[in-house]
Amino acid sequence: MIDIKDVVVLGANGTMGAGSGEVFAAGGCDVVFLARTVEKAHEGLVTAQNMAKSARIADRISVGTYDQDLEEAVAKADLIFEALAEDIELKKQFFTRVDKCRRPESIVATVSSGLSIAEMAHGRSDTFRKNFLGIHLFNPPHVIVGTEVIPHAETDPKLIPSTVEMLETRFGRTAIVTDDKPAFCGNRVGFKVLNEVAILAEQYGVTFIDYLIGPYTGRAMAPLATIDLVGWDVHKAIVDNVHVHTKDEAHDLFKLPVYMDKLIDHGHLGNKTPAHGGFYRRVKEGKQTINLALDPRTGAYKDTRENGLRPLPFVEKIRQLHRVGKYVEAMQLFVTAEGAEADLARKVIFGYVSYALNRVGDKEVVREPRDVDRIMGFGFNWVPPTVLADVIGVKETIKAIERCGLPVPKVLAQAKPGERLFREAHVNIGRFFAA
Amino acid sequence: MATPIYVLGGYQTDFARNWNKESKHIVAMMREAVAGGLEATGLEPKDVEVGHVGNFAAELYAMQGHLGAFLLDIDSSFSGLPTSRHEAACASGSIAILAASAEIEAGRYDLAMVVGVEQMKTVDPKTGGDFLGTAAWYETEAKGIEFPFPKLFGRLGDEYDKRFGLKEEHLAHISAVNYSNAKRNPLAQTRNWYMTEDHARSTDKFNTIIGGRIKVSDCSQVTDGAASVFLASEKAAKAYAKKRGIKLENIPRLLGWGHHTAPIEFDAKVAESRDNPYVLPHTRQAILDAFRRAGVADVWGVNAIETHDCFTTSEYMAIDHFGLTKPGESWKAVEDGTIEMGGKMPINPSGGLIGCGHPVGATGTRQVLDAYKQVTGQAGDYQVEGAKKVATLNIGGSGTTSVAFVVGC
Repeated sequence: MIDIKDVVVLGANGTMGAGSGEVFAAGGCDVVFLARTVEKAHEGLVTAQNMAKSARIADRISVGTYDQDLEEAVAKADLIFEALAEDIELKKQFFTRVDKCRRPESIVATVSSGLSIAEMAHGRSDTFRKNFLGIHLFNPPHVIVGTEVIPHAETDPKLIPSTVEMLETRFGRTAIVTDDKPAFCGNRVGFKVLNEVAILAEQYGVTFIDYLIGPYTGRAMAPLATIDLVGWDVHKAIVDNVHVHTKDEAHDLFKLPVYMDKLIDHGHLGNKTPAHGGFYRRVKEGKQTINLALDPRTGAYKDTRENGLRPLPFVEKIRQLHRVGKYVEAMQLFVTAEGAEADLARKVIFGYVSYALNRVGDKEVVREPRDVDRIMGFGFNWVPPTVLADVIGVKETIKAIERCGLPVPKVLAQAKPGERLFREAHVNIGRFFAA
Repeated sequence: MATPIYVLGGYQTDFARNWNKESKHIVAMMREAVAGGLEATGLEPKDVEVGHVGNFAAELYAMQGHLGAFLLDIDSSFSGLPTSRHEAACASGSIAILAASAEIEAGRYDLAMVVGVEQMKTVDPKTGGDFLGTAAWYETEAKGIEFPFPKLFGRLGDEYDKRFGLKEEHLAHISAVNYSNAKRNPLAQTRNWYMTEDHARSTDKFNTIIGGRIKVSDCSQVTDGAASVFLASEKAAKAYAKKRGIKLENIPRLLGWGHHTAPIEFDAKVAESRDNPYVLPHTRQAILDAFRRAGVADVWGVNAIETHDCFTTSEYMAIDHFGLTKPGESWKAVEDGTIEMGGKMPINPSGGLIGCGHPVGATGTRQVLDAYKQVTGQAGDYQVEGAKKVATLNIGGSGTTSVAFVVGC
């Protein structure tokens, strides 16, 4: 295992920078938080303290600026961790500086959630390229343990497993290795589903679609609420990147809906722009907070209490079964429920299973089903695709995927009768099914 | 013990989960603990002859009593199963195990299922603290007092301080060791939390004083969780072993048990023990009884301890009450590393109530399950190498109901 002691975080004032810095400091590293100004770097330190719920984590953190401290800190560091804005030109500028002052054996990593690792490494020194990889932590890093390790073609092959081992044993991560493909594994699979739901919202309405693909389908949070949390700008950056650079069976589902594009231009970025909102907006009326939901067709926001949403009997029955822990019965009902709404819900959920497990293979994004399971389970808090197949039954899952006209993943087609696909001994699968 | 009680295994839910956020009813937790336990042991639901549930206060936290009856909702084969629920505050899980083993000893049943369960994240911390106050004499020790239990266990620390002297640094070290152990336990509530000894020693907005000398870092957790344990008579264990081609002597047993109750009010306990070398003599006696019944001469006859560290002061008390040091000298075992993983007597390899979590009614069952895992080499990253015998101590109230077990082959 690699032994790292000194870490430098570039962009330590942002949530990902401060959060990643907190993870490294909590694992016993001495971490330098760098930002444009000392005040900004200090803001990152305060964020890290709040995440750790401890003032003492600051004992392992020092702050500095790019202008004053970068060269000295980088020269000393075992790991240089880049968490700047998702702007590849900006990142490359900093890597040029880092390359000039780093020690040849130091590791350089980017927290990028989907930009090309190879492009960032391009043109750098031999030792930089050899020691460069993506370490994609999810937001917020101190809570979400799922982590992607992304080598590029020239990354030292020995560095990859040792980085995974270090992240797991020392920093409490659940780490997987993914290929250097747009959005890597978690975001490729996750944002396919999220964008599909955003597309459907135009026809079916925001509250209805969030209800239909709600927590009962195997996620901690409803999908459109998730996009609001992530930020519409981030959502757009991810799906645009995948849409431009990949061509797979879900290509059209990565096209950002026009209504989102327009609203982004008007400053609707989700929770980070509370005045504008995203799919939802909260407004104060006296002492009361009123929840409004977007009508994607008009761009207007309406009180969610007046949306005319009627509970669907099959959804309510499934929720009740989850509530008492009968997950198998619940998801079997999901497969057999009748009606257009159930068909629509199945199209999205079996679309998820199909798309996720079809990203597994020699020329795909990850090598093993376990990889996509772990990143969806611990990066997104979504039910891992093989858990759904286990709970529903592999044969039934294949039939459902075929009925939706979707490609059947090899791992399902080749499963032995009665074989359990999800084999993470300590994971309670019930945690993924909220009522 | 005259009649052997075999432990076939069981299952613990992930103590980091928040079942209220998952919108789950308490029966979901029981179902997962039972289903997981049946799978882990390879038992069929029809093999189970009796069910015992340990739970403290589901009536308050989940507006639900009569938990024994919920076992029948778990599998149709449980139709008609005799069940009961047992309550002794934080010792409820151990009392359920005692009741189940007593029935096996009496020859009534050959295979018993014990489920300890508590759902606590249904209410805000202050309300939860008030509910926990019912484990004390509510009217005299808890009513109208914010967080009564940290204050009561703070007074246990005060009593040690008065009789022998007590340093905060030793309590901080106990906290840090439990958190550190929990990092190796994949089911521990705090496995990804930040904690260092420096933090435990500090007092600030992140580590506030909850009551007396007790700070946040001295406290066990508010936890949702369940643990199941399956107990068998010799007859059932023989059949179990034969079916699986394993040796009967390799199945762990409850080698010994001890059970005593002290006066419920803390002042009464202290008054009673004034001339006794031990602050909580009934707790000490429960441990000695367990050792005697197990044929263990003293604490050095076991290889590890899972103890009740509802607060750092309770573990501090357990150290000398187990006999690791002379009364009042627990600090020596804290300072010299005795209680740490790799030490002479690791305490709470699981992380204990501070690190692993404390779903009140499940804790006693979880301790025995962890003891089972240790003596069968199934504790994974928190395995105490070569553990043959493990002792547990589970306490309800402010040192009121004490139950100790020795588990081993």
